[in-house]
Amino acid sequence: MALTAEFETELKVFEQYRKEWSGTHLGEYVVIQDGVVLEGFFQEYADAFKAGLRRFGVRRPFLVKQVWITEPVYFVA
Amino acid sequence: MIVPVQLHWNPFNQLDPGPCIKVIIANTDETIEAGRAIGFEYPAPHEITALLDTGSPFTIVNRVHALNRMLTQTGAGTEIRTLGGKAKCGEHSGTISFPGTGLKRIETLRILSRDFEEERHYSCLIGRDVLRYWNISFDGRSKLVTITD
Repeated sequence: MALTAEFETELKVFEQYRKEWSGTHLGEYVVIQDGVVLEGFFQEYADAFKAGLRRFGVRRPFLVKQVWITEPVYFVA
Repeated sequence: MIVPVQLHWNPFNQLDPGPCIKVIIANTDETIEAGRAIGFEYPAPHEITALLDTGSPFTIVNRVHALNRMLTQTGAGTEIRTLGGKAKCGEHSGTISFPGTGLKRIETLRILSRDFEEERHYSCLIGRDVLRYWNISFDGRSKLVTITD
């Protein structure tokens, strides 16, 4: 598995659906690899990751993304 | 019997970096099992020092450590804002344990990674995503932080 990934393809797919998903799955997690979106949304990151691992394995990275209308900037003090 | 963890912290000493604890961050058991099944090798667990940081919503580890430990990446470009400015973080899945204590391991956690350039005393911030599992108190007279989970 690549040690660093930019997830360009996955993020493009996410952007295509962001508005739609924000209306029904705000704050939930979705799993994407290439153009494949894993069926279902997840309340917790851990559940989304485990589902992604079962579906896609470890050979190549998959994106686990929380659904927000716009990307948040988190404050770290 | 629950044995509380006690950490020394002197907030009245301006050079004290804050309450720190030893942690081990690694891939989840499921990840390692799946990887080994197809011939991947993973590095041995490595203990690092982490600062308890109530000001961070997430646990954040030094990017170099995330690479060296081969943490599975699950995101990129997550933006955080600190007093030093904005930073882009990677996202990884991992498990975190607290060697030498009775604190329970957290099996699957979203862990951010960024460059730690100025932090000499620690290479990880334990954020509120971990602190939420603990009862933490601070006694200013004894300068002890006590943790139970």
